[in-house]
Amino acid sequence: MTWLTEWAGYLPQLMSGLAVSLLIAGISIFFGYPLGLVLSLMVTAKNLAVRTLGLAVVEIGRGAPALVILYLFYYGLPKFGIAFESITAACLALTWNSAAYSSEIMRAGLQSVARGQLEASNALGLSQRDTFFRVVMPQGMRSAIPGLMGVAIQMFQGTSLAYGIAVPELMKTAYNIGSQDFNYLQIFTLAGLCYAVISMPATWITVFFEKRMARHT
Amino acid sequence: MTLSEIADGKLAPRLGIKLDNISKRYGEHTVLDDVSLHVEPGTVTALIGPSGAGKSTFLRCINLLERPDSGTIQVDQHTIEPGKDVNSRDLAALRRTVGMVFQSFNLFPHMSALKNISFPQQKVLGRSKEEADERSRQLLERVGLKEKADQHPGKCSGGQQQRIAIARALALDPAIMLFDEPTSALDPEVGLEVLAVMRELAADGMTMIVVTHEMHFARDVSDTLVVMADCKIIEQGDPRAIMSDPQEARTRRFLRAVLER
Amino acid sequence: MDALSAVLQGLPMTIMLTLSAFSIGIVGAVPLAVGLSSSNILVRLASRLFVDLVRGVPIIVWLFLLKFGIQIGTFKFNPVGAAIVGLGVVSIAYLAEIYRGGLQSVPRGQGEAAHALGLTGGTTFYGVMVPQAFRIVSPSIATYLTGLLKDSSIASTIIVTEMVFQSQAFARQHPTVEGILPYIMVGILYIALSLPVAYLSRRLDSRMRKAVSV
Repeated sequence: MTWLTEWAGYLPQLMSGLAVSLLIAGISIFFGYPLGLVLSLMVTAKNLAVRTLGLAVVEIGRGAPALVILYLFYYGLPKFGIAFESITAACLALTWNSAAYSSEIMRAGLQSVARGQLEASNALGLSQRDTFFRVVMPQGMRSAIPGLMGVAIQMFQGTSLAYGIAVPELMKTAYNIGSQDFNYLQIFTLAGLCYAVISMPATWITVFFEKRMARHT
Repeated sequence: MTLSEIADGKLAPRLGIKLDNISKRYGEHTVLDDVSLHVEPGTVTALIGPSGAGKSTFLRCINLLERPDSGTIQVDQHTIEPGKDVNSRDLAALRRTVGMVFQSFNLFPHMSALKNISFPQQKVLGRSKEEADERSRQLLERVGLKEKADQHPGKCSGGQQQRIAIARALALDPAIMLFDEPTSALDPEVGLEVLAVMRELAADGMTMIVVTHEMHFARDVSDTLVVMADCKIIEQGDPRAIMSDPQEARTRRFLRAVLER
Repeated sequence: MDALSAVLQGLPMTIMLTLSAFSIGIVGAVPLAVGLSSSNILVRLASRLFVDLVRGVPIIVWLFLLKFGIQIGTFKFNPVGAAIVGLGVVSIAYLAEIYRGGLQSVPRGQGEAAHALGLTGGTTFYGVMVPQAFRIVSPSIATYLTGLLKDSSIASTIIVTEMVFQSQAFARQHPTVEGILPYIMVGILYIALSLPVAYLSRRLDSRMRKAVSV
C-alpha cells in the first residue's frame, strides 16, 4: 500500500520525464514520416544514384540498432567537432530511425495498390502526377495507416534508449530517482506502467483500425 | 437522349481503327504473333477464343496499356508505331479517343461514383467542375444509376460498379470503346444489366471491340467475330456464319466446348 | 587495439544473447500462442494482457527491472542473466503473437477438410495447421530474429559486454577522430549480420512455397 502513496509522490517528476519522451517521439514522427515518404519514392526511382542513396539511408536507419545511431550522434560526432545537445541528438537519431521504418511501410502501401487502378488511370489518360497523387497515394497511404501507427508506438518506446545519452526522459528520470532512494523495483514498475498505459491502448486502437480497413477491402 | 447525343449535343464522331502486324514477346514467350485487325467505324467486333490466346493483351495494345514490340496503330489520320518511341501528345490523344472498360471495374474506391466520372473529365478534358458533374449525372441516369451518384464504389454491387465504369469511360467522349471481359466477374443475372447498356451503346453506333465469353452477345450484337488462339487470329467474319459453320478445327473445338456446356 | 577488434570482442556475447533469448522465445511462445487462440475467454484475455503488457513496455525498462529490482533473498540477477531473461520474455510475447497470426491465416477450409476426413484434433493441429502456419510466418520469425539481434544492444546499458558496450569503451578511451570508428563499425556489423538471416529466410520461404504450391 505504501507503494501507491510513494508513487503519487514520484509522479510529478516522472511526468516531466514523460513529457520529454513524448516530445522526442512527436518530433521524430513529425519530421520522420514526410522524410519516410520521400525515401519510399527514392527507393523505387528510376535514377540509380537516387535509388542507391535512398536505399543506403533506409537500410542503415533500419539495420543499425537505434542505440548505435543515438551514440553515433551524441558520442561519435563530437570527435569531428560537431557537438549536439542530448535532446537534439536524440531527435535527429530517432527521426532517422522513424524515417527508415515508415518508408518501408509506405512503400509497401503504395505498391499494394491494385494494378487495375493504374490501368484505369492510364486508360483514362490521367497524367502521371494525377495518377500518383490522386489515385495511388490516397489508397496507398490509407493501407499504410496501421503500420505507421505501429511505428509511432515503436518510436515512443524508442525514446527510452535516449537514457544512454543523458536525456532527461522518462527512463532516465526513473533511474535517477531509483539511484537516489534505492527503490528500483518500485520506480521502474511505475515507469513501466507509464509506458504501458500509453502503448497498450495505442496498440489496441491500431488493431481496431487494421480490422476495420480489412473489412472495407 | 442517346448516349452519343449527350456528347456536345451532336452525334460523336464515328471512327474506325487499323491495327497491323502487332507482335509482342515477354522474353522467350510470344504472346502476340503478327496480329492485324481492321475495325470499321460504328461496328462492334467481338473477340473470342481460349484463355491464353492473347485476346486481353491485344486489346491492351490498342490503347497502349501494353506496348507491342512492333506493328502500327492507325486511328483517324494518326499513325502510331509503338515499337519506336511514342510521344506523349500522341499517347494522350489516343487515350482520349479510345475508352476502356475492365473486367475488374477498377473504379477509384476513395471517390464517389460522381467523382469517379467527373474527375477524369476535369483533369483530362479540362472541364469545369459544374460542367463535369452535370455530364456525369446525365450519364449515371442513362445507365440507370442516378441515385448512386454520391455513393462510394464499395457500397455498389458488381453490376452497378461496372455500369459506373462504363459511364466513366464514356464521359471522355471516346470514339472507340474497348471492353475487356466486362461481365466475367459478374453473376449471370447481374451481367445482363451491363450487357443491356452495351447493346444500347452498340445500337447508337459506337465503335466497340469486346473481348468476351458471352456467346449470345457475340452472335447477336457484333458485326464481326474474331477468333483468336495461340497468339494469332485464326478466323474472322460474320458471327452467325462462323458459329454455325467454323472453318478452322481449332475454332470448332473451342466453340464446341463453349456452346455445349 | 584498433576499433574493429575492440568491437569484435563483444561479438560472441551479442550472438550468445541473441540466440539464447531466441530459443527461449521460440519454445515459450507455443503455450502462449495456444492461450491466445483459446476458446476459453479468460485464458484468451489473460494471454492477451500478458502479451500486450510485455510489448507495451520498452525493453530497457524490463532489463533494469530485472537487474536492479529483483532481490529474492540473496538472489539477484547478474547483468547477463537479466539480459537473457528479459530478452527471452519479450521474445516469447512477440513470437506468440506471430504464431497466433500464422494459425489464424491458415485457410478455414483446411480445418474443415480435416474434420470431414475424420482426423482428430491433435492430428489436425500438428499435422495440418502448424506446418502451414509455419510456412506463413517463417519470414516474420526471421525478421524478428534480426530485430532481436539489434535489441541485444540494449543490454549494454546494464553493463553486458556485448558489441555496443565495447564500442562505448573504445570511444571513451579515444577522444580523437578515431573514436567515431567503433560506432560505424558496429553499425556495419549489425547490418552485415542480418544479411545471412534474410538470405536464409528467402531460401527457406521459396523452398517451402515449392513444396506446398498447389
